[in-house]
Parts: sequence; C-alpha cells; structure tokens
Amino acid sequence: MFFKSLDLTTALRPLLLPDETLLFVQDAVGLYEGKYKIPNYQNGHAYLTSHRVCYVATEEPRKYCVGIDLKEIDRAEYQARFLKSSPKITIHPKPQNGKTDKSRSATSSPAIPQQSTLHPAARSPLPQTGISPSPSPQPINATWICPICTFSNPVPSNFDPATATAATNLPPCLACGIKPPFTTVLKAAISAATSREPATSSAVHIGAEENNTSGSERTDTTTRGSVCCPRCTFVNHPSLIECEICGAPLMPKGTASQIGSDVSRADSPAPFFQQTRSTNTEVSESIKLSFRDGGEKTFHERLKDALVQRKWLLQNAPPVPAPAQATASAGILPATAALESPQPAAPRVSAVGIAGLEQRGLEARMNNQLVIGNAFEDLEALMASAKQIVALAETLARESGMTSTNEGSAETNAVLSESAAALGMVTTKDMLSSGSENLYLSELSRNLAEYLTDDRQGILQREGGIMSLIDLWAVFNRSRNGVELVSPSDFERAAELWEKLKLPVRLRRFKSGLLVVQRYDWSDDKTVRQLQDWMEELRQLPPEDSVPWDWSMFGRAVTAQETAHRFKWSVGVATEELEMAEDRGVLCREEGIEGLRFWANYIVNPSDSVQ
Amino acid sequence: MSATTPFQFPPTYNFPPFFTPQPNSNTRLSQLEKWSSLIQAWCRHNRQYRLSLIDAIDTPLFHNATLRKRLDLAGARDVVEWMTKSEEEGGGGRRAEWLDASAGGNGAPKSIAYIWWRRPEEWADVIADWVENTGQRGAVLTVYELVQGEATVSQDFHGMDTDVMMKTLNILVKRGKIQIFGNEGEEGVKFF
Repeated sequence: MFFKSLDLTTALRPLLLPDETLLFVQDAVGLYEGKYKIPNYQNGHAYLTSHRVCYVATEEPRKYCVGIDLKEIDRAEYQARFLKSSPKITIHPKPQNGKTDKSRSATSSPAIPQQSTLHPAARSPLPQTGISPSPSPQPINATWICPICTFSNPVPSNFDPATATAATNLPPCLACGIKPPFTTVLKAAISAATSREPATSSAVHIGAEENNTSGSERTDTTTRGSVCCPRCTFVNHPSLIECEICGAPLMPKGTASQIGSDVSRADSPAPFFQQTRSTNTEVSESIKLSFRDGGEKTFHERLKDALVQRKWLLQNAPPVPAPAQATASAGILPATAALESPQPAAPRVSAVGIAGLEQRGLEARMNNQLVIGNAFEDLEALMASAKQIVALAETLARESGMTSTNEGSAETNAVLSESAAALGMVTTKDMLSSGSENLYLSELSRNLAEYLTDDRQGILQREGGIMSLIDLWAVFNRSRNGVELVSPSDFERAAELWEKLKLPVRLRRFKSGLLVVQRYDWSDDKTVRQLQDWMEELRQLPPEDSVPWDWSMFGRAVTAQETAHRFKWSVGVATEELEMAEDRGVLCREEGIEGLRFWANYIVNPSDSVQ
Repeated sequence: MSATTPFQFPPTYNFPPFFTPQPNSNTRLSQLEKWSSLIQAWCRHNRQYRLSLIDAIDTPLFHNATLRKRLDLAGARDVVEWMTKSEEEGGGGRRAEWLDASAGGNGAPKSIAYIWWRRPEEWADVIADWVENTGQRGAVLTVYELVQGEATVSQDFHGMDTDVMMKTLNILVKRGKIQIFGNEGEEGVKFF
C-alpha cells in the first residue's frame, strides 16, 4: 500500500478521477502510520471517494496531501474512543504474501498445464505488470481455483473480463457449491488471457504449496534467477516470496537493492509495486485515521461500502451496455441482478416493421421502468443511479417539448446537461456528518470555488470575471437539479469563507451593498485600468455623429449599459464598477436627459489625460 | 466699460460633466474651483460687481447653448455659497458675498451676491497705490469723481459699484489712509 501524491483542485480538494465520486469528508483528522503520528499530517481533511482515501492537511495543503487507493486496502477496523484517545479507523493494506498471494498464484497456476514448455530465461520477474484487461474477449480454457476447496473450476465461457462487473452472475464452485469471489474469477480470466499471448512472454508461476501438481516443475528452474532462502538456504524459485521449505520471507535479487535497508518491509515485498513511482512512500504497516472531531462512524461505514462496491474496477471498463446492469453493479439491488439474464451478450431477436418499432418501444419502456423503479427503491439507490435519472429526465423533457416552452433556456439546458457531472461532486449535507455545520460550510465554499473556476463551465469567464452573488446562487442551485439546494444564508456564509480558506475567488461588497464574486487576483486597479484604456480608445476614435464638444480632448461618455456590454458584465455590476472608478476620481458623471453617463475625469486634470 | 471682445471660456466649459454636481468630493472641489474662477473671470470681463443669479442663469455663464447644458439655479447657488465661505471653512476663499435680502431688492435671500474678483481689501490697495502713484496725497475727491471721473478712466475701479466703493473706502478709513466726510450720497474723500 502506498501513499500516493495527490493533485489538488484550485479549491484545495483532491482532484477526482473521471468516474470517482466523493463519498464523505471529515475535518480535524490526524494520520498515523502504524502506531506513530506522522508529523505535519495531524490536522486536515479526510476525503473518502469511491476510489481513494485522501488526506489534505489544513496547513500547507499542497505540500501535505496523500491518497491511498482503496484497491490496496484489505480491510478497515474501527476503534472506538477510549479515554483521551480519539476514535480511529485502522486501514490494513492488502498483504502481498498472505491469502491474496495464494489466490493469485492459485488463479494463475491452472494456466500452467497449457504452457507445456518453460522459458525461464525469458520469464518476466514481474508477472503481474500486464494486469490490464486484454482486448481479446473470450478467454478460453481458463480455470479458477475455489478458495474454499481448491477445486479447479472452468471460467464460464460467457465471462468477459472487460465488461464483467461484480454483479455478474457467477456459477458456484462445482465441487463445494460456494460462489467464488468475483476478483478470483476475474484474475483467472485475465491471467489466462495474458498467457494466451506469445508463449515466450508467458507469465509462469510455480504452484503454491497447496498445489502439489507443480512440485516437479520447481526443480526444473535454473538457478540463475533463484533466490537462496536466508534461513534454510533452500534455493527457491525467484517468483516466490516465501521460502517453500521454511516459510521465511525471501528477498528477490532484483528488488533487494531497491528495497535497501528497510528491514521492516521484508514481509511485504510485492516487487512490482516498487516500480510504480519512486516518490511514493510505501506503507508497510497499517494506517490510522484519528478522528478528533467525530464523523468516524459514517466514515467507517462508507469506507466499508466503498470497499464492497469496488467502483475502481469499473475504471477501465467500457460504458455499461445495459442501464440495469449498471445499477446492479452498485451492488445494491440483487433483485435486478437476478432479473438480468446471465448472458448479456445474448443475440436480440430482430424484428422489422411496425412490430419491430413496437418491440423497441416496449423495451425502452421496460428499461425506463426498471431504472425508475430501481432509483426510487431507496435513497441510496437514487444517489447511485442519479446519472441515469438525470439523463432520463432530460430525454423526457426534450420529448415532451418542455424545453421549447421556456424561452432563452439554452443556457439552462447547458447547465442542466452539465449537471450530471456536477451532481457527482457536489457537497451535500448528506455527505457530512450532522452537526458539523462549519465543515459543511467550508466544503460548500470549496465546492463553490471549484464550480466557479471550472474551465469547462467557465461561469466566471462568461460573466466577464465578475458575477453577482445572487446570480451565482441561482445558477449553482439550478445545476444541482433541485436536489440538496443550498439555502441563501448558507450560501452567503460559504462565500464569506473564501477569503479565510485562501480560495481563488473572493466575495466583494460594493458601496451599495451588492455582493459580487470575482477572481481572487482581480482587483479594482485592474478594472480601473481597463476603463481608462477604454476611455483612451474613445478619445482616439471620432464619434459617429458630430458632437458639440471637443471629442479629441474629452472623448465620449459611456453608459452603464455600454460598459456592461463591452466587459460582459451585468448592468448592476457595471454600474457599481463605474461608480467605483468615479469614487477613485478616474471618472466623472454627467446627468442629463439621456440618463447617467460617465466621462473620463477632465475636471480634475483638464490639460493632460487621466493619470 | 462693456465687453468689446467676446469672453473666452475655459476648456472645461465645454465638458458636459462640468454641469453636473459631482459626488466625488475631490472632483467636486475641483469642479467648484473651476466654477469659481469662471464666475470671477466672467464678472471681471463684464465689469460686473454683483451677480443676480436669477438674471444670470440664462446668460452664457450658466447656460452652454452648444452643449445644451446648464447649471440650474440651485447648482449656481451652491457654487456661490461655496465661494462665500473662507478656505478654512472648506470654501472658495470668500470670493463672493450674499447681499442682504433687503439690499437685494427683490426680497428673496441669496439671489444676488457680490462677486469679489477683487476683494475689498485688494481694491483698497489698488486705490491707495493709485493715489500714491498720481501724487494725490492730501487731495480731496468726491466719491463720484473716484468712480466716474475722467481721471480714473484708465483705472480698474472706474465705474465701480457705489456700494463696493463704499466698502473699499471704509477699509481705507480703518487703515487711516483717508477720511470720509459729507452727507450720504455726496461723500468726499480726503487722502492722507
């Protein structure tokens, strides 16, 4: 298990992977490695996502932030508060030599009988590096070893490692009748697929202790890459990480120098992990998260759920073919899984003409029914299938012509369609433990900052870099699709936190009390300079119709509307900015029958241009 | 002495915002100073010692016909009010003085003001210098001679408003430079 470096967003939250969703956030969390506190990691936010556990320190967050992939986590233990000790969650890494290793070698060993010849010279010392699913869809002759009774079962012929999910129906073990863990079958299928590649590069595993069949093969290995057991001096096959005779941990030659003198890690060598990134620090022991401010129960619960759901497995998978399958993949509705046919690739009965259309309509309706039914079954499920529901709602809205009735809704639609993505990352009160109002506000504040600075949406750019808080509130809530709306007071308080949290946006109050949102680096000076440049420009351009004053000296007057148009501000913002410039003596006003107009200030400096 | 050459307006006179009271205090101060000097220049050009705002409001002074902009009565009154205050009070250095309602004739307060393009003290200096330079110390002149006499045609104070002249002469009396005698309306002045 490794501490991986994190990419932080502008709002100093972990940058989520495309499919990753934020599950829980808790502040005032400290980090332990084994029994000891890690310095500088004692006060920060713990983020639980569907793929990772991330830690971001409050002080110097860019320097002190780490993440741990959930896939490397074996289990998480909850440790309640005891006297002065805060409640903790202990995260145990997946042991590389324990039962995982057994299952790994067990899963790959059945492939050996097909590999009649051994090529030790060409053997890769890192057999698992090619773990990415092979494009070949049908791994034939693959077998998986039942972890209960060690019987070799054939992988079902319709099992496709590229598309299979945890919810795919797996046949039970032929001998003992226990359903296998999904990963066992997946690994077996993948390793079978990779071993069907050119035989020279085939991964070779010596069967583990429980597999007596490979005993003779072991002796075939040349001593070139062998590893001598430090305890009993038995010369072991280099792929082994434990001595076959005495069980002592082995140090493979190739990795011995990389590991260096760190003896404590001898029991988790996992050689191929060493190559991932040199900057990463390895965690040999468990990690503890210490919750000084509560929230540990929810965190633990959701961490367990995430470990069960294994969303990261979907990362490389192509989009799920049937919506029902995706819902079921969340592992929530076993009923759906049962409904679903075990052979998703079953050829569809093709029909033509009206019958075909009707059939397709029927299918679509049934599909929709299933999605809606699943979604509303309980709220957890709704969260899981929110994306589909949003997509469905959009389709329905388009079909019923709802969108054509409200004019000027192009923007709304754009926001709505983007909201599916946005929904995944919004901070909701649900995500945080109740009672931690401050945390909710600060997370909402970060969320808002991210939303504003997100280049994909370009909210601030579109508004000319400045936007009134009320407009933002409306757009933001609209992007939440009417779910988990933010109250105005929460919103304002979250916006007021920007400055404190050092986020890249800031809240500004104009003289009139109008609150606006702008980039942190945007200042009045910049606005004034823009206005001055504009005024200078107007002085150079002859006006369209003749004017009674000396335009080459005084230029031309501008109204708030013109200013708003030019800088893409809203009129209210433009008025405020003009008055701000007037307040600084850069502009002066002219009230007339045409309304209020602003001029460069030649009253103060009649001879030269404005300073 | 009427205006023979047209009055030369300053450039800001053609700047439209000049006719709008500015909310910015700095700009406003600058604006008032410019109005003050414009009014003084206008009065000096026209040899005008008192300004009736109601009459002047339609003159080119307050009404820019080309811009179709004007300073309204309240705006003009604000400017003159500012001029009447001393600089210590945040005003324009007492370059104007309201006439009493009774003296103004038409009853409305603050409608007519002396515009001190030269303050009475300055006028006193001018007259004293003139007396000195023309060697008239010890001479006796009537006030009429001072204001309308042929001897003073070349002087700035020729054709001066009688009230202003009396204010000026009273200052000279206080300084001990002259003595005033005679009845009201027929005063004579003796220079020492």
